Amino acid sequence: MTSLAQSPLAGVGRLVRAVAPSTPLIVFLAMFAYLGMASSNFLEPSTMALVLKQSVPTVVVCLGLATVVMAGGDDVVVGGIDLSVPATAVLAAAIIADLVSNHAMFIGYALLIGVAAGVVCGLVNAFLVVFFGMTPLLATFASSTAFIGISKVVTASRRINVGDPLIVWLRDGSIFGVPAGVICACLIAAVFYFVLHRTRWGLNLQAVGGSRDAAEMSGLSAARFIAQSFVIAGLVGGVASAFVLARGSGWTPGTEENLMMEMVLATFLGAAFSPRRIVTLWGAVLGAVLVSALSVGFGSVGIDIFWTGCIKGSLILIVVASAALSRKVNA
Amino acid sequence: MTEPTGHILQMSGITKIFPGVVALDNANLAVREGHIHGLVGENGAGKSTIIKVLAGVYGRDAGEVVIDGAAMAAMTPAHVHAAGIRFIHQELHLVPHFTVAESVFMGQELQGWFGIKSRAMAEAAETFLKETLNAEIRGTTLIRDLGVAQRKLVQIARALIDNKARIVVFDEPTAPLASREIDQLFEAIARLKARGISMVYVSHYLGEITSICDQVTVFRNGRDVGVIEAIGPQDTGRMINMMVGRDISDLYPAKAHAPAAALLRVEALGDHKHFDNIDLEIRRGEIVGVAGLIGSGREELVDTIYGLRQPAAGRMLIDGKPVRLASPAAAVKQGIVLVPRDRRQDGLVLGMTVADNVNLASLEDVSRAYLINRPAAAKRADALAAKLDIRPRNVDTVARLLSGGNQQKVVLARWLATGSRLFILDEPTVGVDIGAKVEIYRLIERLAGDGAAVIVSSSDPNELIGLCDRIVVMLRGSIVANVDTATTSLDALIALTTGGELHEGAVA
Amino acid sequence: MVLNIRQALVTSAVLAAALGLVATTSISPSWSDEALSLKGKRIGVAVVGTQHFWDREAFNGALDQVKALGGEPVPVDGGRDNQVHADNHDILLANKVDAVISILGDAAVEPKFKALKDAGIPVFTVDHLSPYSINNTTSDNYYMGTTIGRYMADALGGKGKVAVFNAFEGALRICAIRTQMWKYVLQDYPGIKIVQPELAEAFANAPEDARKKTLDLLTQYPKGTLDAIHVGCWDQPAIGVVQALQETGRTEIKVTALDAGPDTLEIMAEKDSPFVANVAQQPRKIGATSAMNVARYFAGQKLMPQTFVDVVPVKGPEEAKKVYEQLGYGKLH
Repeated sequence: MTSLAQSPLAGVGRLVRAVAPSTPLIVFLAMFAYLGMASSNFLEPSTMALVLKQSVPTVVVCLGLATVVMAGGDDVVVGGIDLSVPATAVLAAAIIADLVSNHAMFIGYALLIGVAAGVVCGLVNAFLVVFFGMTPLLATFASSTAFIGISKVVTASRRINVGDPLIVWLRDGSIFGVPAGVICACLIAAVFYFVLHRTRWGLNLQAVGGSRDAAEMSGLSAARFIAQSFVIAGLVGGVASAFVLARGSGWTPGTEENLMMEMVLATFLGAAFSPRRIVTLWGAVLGAVLVSALSVGFGSVGIDIFWTGCIKGSLILIVVASAALSRKVNA
Repeated sequence: MTEPTGHILQMSGITKIFPGVVALDNANLAVREGHIHGLVGENGAGKSTIIKVLAGVYGRDAGEVVIDGAAMAAMTPAHVHAAGIRFIHQELHLVPHFTVAESVFMGQELQGWFGIKSRAMAEAAETFLKETLNAEIRGTTLIRDLGVAQRKLVQIARALIDNKARIVVFDEPTAPLASREIDQLFEAIARLKARGISMVYVSHYLGEITSICDQVTVFRNGRDVGVIEAIGPQDTGRMINMMVGRDISDLYPAKAHAPAAALLRVEALGDHKHFDNIDLEIRRGEIVGVAGLIGSGREELVDTIYGLRQPAAGRMLIDGKPVRLASPAAAVKQGIVLVPRDRRQDGLVLGMTVADNVNLASLEDVSRAYLINRPAAAKRADALAAKLDIRPRNVDTVARLLSGGNQQKVVLARWLATGSRLFILDEPTVGVDIGAKVEIYRLIERLAGDGAAVIVSSSDPNELIGLCDRIVVMLRGSIVANVDTATTSLDALIALTTGGELHEGAVA
Repeated sequence: MVLNIRQALVTSAVLAAALGLVATTSISPSWSDEALSLKGKRIGVAVVGTQHFWDREAFNGALDQVKALGGEPVPVDGGRDNQVHADNHDILLANKVDAVISILGDAAVEPKFKALKDAGIPVFTVDHLSPYSINNTTSDNYYMGTTIGRYMADALGGKGKVAVFNAFEGALRICAIRTQMWKYVLQDYPGIKIVQPELAEAFANAPEDARKKTLDLLTQYPKGTLDAIHVGCWDQPAIGVVQALQETGRTEIKVTALDAGPDTLEIMAEKDSPFVANVAQQPRKIGATSAMNVARYFAGQKLMPQTFVDVVPVKGPEEAKKVYEQLGYGKLH
């Protein structure tokens, strides 16, 4: 057959198709290679331990976002996304900090109330998305702003120190030399892995995200699973509050911004590492650790904080663009 | 197995009314136990409506559904499922990143104390695919790594895995398949039949219907017009007569043009996916029809000639010179224009006026130094509107407010304004009333009379026979016939398009 | 520079002591410190953010002084996020620096300081009191608080209603000192009432946040019902407060705040500015002094728990112009 009509575009398309899903991976490896060379101690075990420790709150909120994405599909605009997990965590943290430090409540009760508040936040999102049919991106962006507003009302927008032994243990404690926060995050991640990847409910939730039609055809109610995913994300936000409090030794306004950026970056970056090229729990966890490693690495090398923000923003773009591109070329 | 005689499914007197349209009018469908029952009819005849009534997706306004002797009072999808009726939809509805086992067991996964039993599911899916459908597919393979035919089998396996299916409804199951893949599917269907499962088989491909079905019900205008028992290839002509049921009216203008020298030649064109090895020649002053079912590669071929898609093989020559059209813009430069099938989406800027739409593709002619000469533009739009009889005649009317036929005329006017020499009309009269149709046919005839070459791609066989000089028929990505309309009957064209065989000498 | 300062000494007795110190630290160590050196030492310098003049100057003052003493600074910037700032100390710990200068920060840094101390790395703080720090270099916050209290009372004629931005009294000890000393002075002016509840400014993007909150406040308190707005611990929010007053034409309300960097001195120097009183700190000198203290520590000298760097009270536009020039920010007309 003649190849006269062979378009040069076809070749580019094939190249894009082959490379696009791996672009974030390549960019990350390049960055790590650079950081490893530029900073003498970046690859040392003590630095890696620090990376793990700092990644804990991000890892936990990523579990929530990953659940919503898995149930809603990974189309950033119309699929599942929950930007409000960090805001939920910060609101729950505000409530816990206020109860423990200003009202001398027992930490166990305060944590329960905080987690319950997180679940309520999740219910609000589920209601907005499933009942009102709002786009998840917009609904959770709006609810996120509202949750932060409530947290400022609760705290009068002032820092609250929390010195409760449990929170201090989460921050400084360790079991057999492994930081307590890291162990707790691993346990939570393991529970989520089992529920989402190893149970019928989890597989059905993923089916809804993979193809709403296919799930409906199999007798699964897409609306039910999507609503449940938001409630789970709210629960995760409530649980993450403990780690947010531990990390900051209390509640500080503005914590959600950095957390949200890292969460989005980590979760979608994780998709690049998954063999199926989709958002998965392990991908999100790994992504969170890598993002934390980048923050530590940039700090070690002494890169200007404004550049760090710029680089992370560009990374989000690369990750999301490569996801969009690989979807486009595979269509 | 005993000889199956009784009816497992009886739908009688089904009426379904949508606002302003009677979709089903006292329609009947009866399926014998253990048989494969074909369901045919033209687009809009009511086939898919009655299937959706059976599925419980649409409620019925009148009529009775009896399954295995028991009348179905309430019909929700859950009830229908419980009654053992399964649907294999035309779309695959599979999750690309799920494994075969996860897809087959979707909604009824096997779960133990330690979570999902992945291995047991994979083994069960493999066994089921092998024994029931004669397919060797590993349970751990991802859906996206499967071919279309294998995905179809996974889809079937999902419907049958609970072993409770009694009636399986196939809706155009072969539409996305290549010919060699169809045999694999038919073999699977034969195995299902051997297991005593009854089937309803909906298809446009009459060739398939005659080769695998036991009986056929023909639908026309929302009701069943006949049942053919013991169907075979000899019944194709009868089936087409029942489906069409009308003669070609004198909608079509007399063919007054005389084809001259070749304008466009297409040699061995293919995209390795939708069509391959296409040879085509179109002369100036000639109207060539392209016939083919959805999935035949007809739309993709037309898009490729227009530069919207890129071919993987072969070449195109205009006036004997090879050209490569990287985009529609390049095609327009060569004097090739496409009047798209979805003019609301692709052809018109609905918010702009008729005049602006007419001048859209040729603004440079009515502009000086990038500034649009408004009076000149309006004058030309006026002249074209008069020539094409666009109504209302006011060219300042917003395009959205025009009727479908007049919108189509605006799109044609735009390309007349550019002085193009090859017109590709994709479904030119879809959604257009009968009066406007006649006008559009006259316009097309005039284009050819003025020396332009015209390609009409259409799913309406009447239109192709009435309008064109020649018709090329596409089936599964290849040209299977190139016929002169003067010597081709409607039945023969339908037979060619649907892959059926005419045995009663219908080819004149 | 030295000549200018000599002239200033003659013309302004009030400023003499402070400006003399500017000369010693911005040029070279004074005679008694000539032997000091940080040669071969890597000094981590952590700052909460570099968007604001004060933070940036203290940061650069410390970095420059570390370099001037022959040390290698390892800078980390929190981007005006207290959490990031705290986490940055972990990075310095992993980097095994020889000492850490930590500028500002809330209680989230305390466990980090402890970890550094446990690892044998001495911590020096700027504007942050901590049990784990060898020395805290800061302005005389007690004096700042009482002075701004007196100046505001004077500007109000001893009576009126005042709203206060006071988000950090509970979070930062320096803020607690400044605000509580201000309130201590106001006890003696029974005619001055503090509007309740107190306002809370944002830590990042403070001017815009304060502008919006002031606009809300002005709607709540129509003309004649509010006489002054005070920012308890710094003056970045005051920029937004003045903006809001000018937008609404409510410039009869007096504004007072603390820090007096060039940006706020410029606002104060404008004719009929509502921003009437401030107390100027010398952030560059504070940073540099902290670096000197690190060198003194390594030289075996005994350090006081706190080193105070003098402040310069500013009242009215004329003084604002004068202080602007005298602190080396240029000349205002």
